Amino acid sequence: MTVKIVGFEVSPGVLSVMMCLHELGVPYQIENPASWQALKDEDFIANKHPFYNNYSGKIPVLCDGDYTITETRAICRYLVSKYQGKYNDTILIPNDVHKAGLVDQYISYEYSYYTPPVAKLVVEEVFHKTSNPELVETSQKEIDKVLNVYEKLLNGKEYLNGEFSLADVLHISYTHFIFSSTKYADWWNKKPNVKQWWDRISNRDCWKKCVEKIKF
Amino acid sequence: MTIRLIGYSASYPTLRVIICLKELGLPYELEPPASYQSLKDEDFIANKHPFGKMPVLFDGDFRITESRAICRYLASKYQGKHNDIILIPKDVHKAGLVDQFISYELSYYDPPLSKLVYQEKFAKKFFNKDPDPEIIKQAHEELAKVLDVYEKLLEGKEYLNGEYSLADLVLCPGTNYVYGAGHSDLWDNRPNVKNWWSRLCNRDANKKSFEEIKSFWENN
Repeated sequence: MTVKIVGFEVSPGVLSVMMCLHELGVPYQIENPASWQALKDEDFIANKHPFYNNYSGKIPVLCDGDYTITETRAICRYLVSKYQGKYNDTILIPNDVHKAGLVDQYISYEYSYYTPPVAKLVVEEVFHKTSNPELVETSQKEIDKVLNVYEKLLNGKEYLNGEFSLADVLHISYTHFIFSSTKYADWWNKKPNVKQWWDRISNRDCWKKCVEKIKF
Repeated sequence: MTIRLIGYSASYPTLRVIICLKELGLPYELEPPASYQSLKDEDFIANKHPFGKMPVLFDGDFRITESRAICRYLASKYQGKHNDIILIPKDVHKAGLVDQFISYELSYYDPPLSKLVYQEKFAKKFFNKDPDPEIIKQAHEELAKVLDVYEKLLEGKEYLNGEYSLADLVLCPGTNYVYGAGHSDLWDNRPNVKNWWSRLCNRDANKKSFEEIKSFWENN
């Protein structure tokens, strides 16, 4: 088994990479660092991930044999390029250059518009366990605007690009924590296309396997 | 079949795509929107960008948005067709690292950089707001820490992934703005970073693109 994720099974980035590996059928192991603080150790910075902030260093890091790669979406793209079609038939990035371009576009919507407000809320309320009514109010407005766009994007479609892709995968992990650990699931559920899309992607067998592994 | 790029060349995500088109030797037509406000029109939202943003690229009937996704698409489709420039290596491991460095740019480099672009170049001129010195100071300090990491990443290398790639391209347009807006010390005080930026400025695609922008700012 050559693929190893370095990280904690509560980090949404780590969970996204796990989901990707499960979907592609690639066996892997997980190595938990000694602690969150250890992510800022000189050795980790030099040999795993060079960026850190006041809170912590960065995960996930993926080691594939001697090869090390960081950053969730880059890791997922690499895994797809290398392993898609090798263990099963699941296609996360289509071979057609135009379809692949649109998957990339939806991944960009995820990191530019969807994840920022959702992550901010999840980090504050679920991970830091802080109650901040002002943040909830601004988050609701921002997330509502984004979900209105998604409601239209998903019109007549089961998934963002028609067929299930890496773009859908990358939306799952932060959203999961909204549904599992906050009372804001309603913001998604009151929009029919969004609700059906979320039900579809969160009920995939591979995601259920990842949820079982969450160490919170 | 022509490539149409909807955007303002002065907007650095649009310029990112322009540089990419030039690097790949691709002809294109630039269509500036009527105004910033027109990006929120019903028609633009429905037929161009659902979040009201630029750039938008049309390749024949095919529409794609988001500058880095557009660049990846152009590289996938056209690299090697008009010239020898390789923006995304064929080798899956090298391509993975290019992707990693693009992610560093969007996650760590661009956030403080974009604040400085807005404050120094756009706030007063386009939105009639005075630059905020506190935001500028914080963004400058944040970018300094990021460039400390880049200084190490560039040790013994000419470009982020060894050879020139999309990873270097994506940060050129924003850097050009901030470098020329009184923050050149951020790059010049770090020898590896300084040489790398100098190398990037010498590329034809960048030279031409930065010249085009210069005349925009002089005339507006």
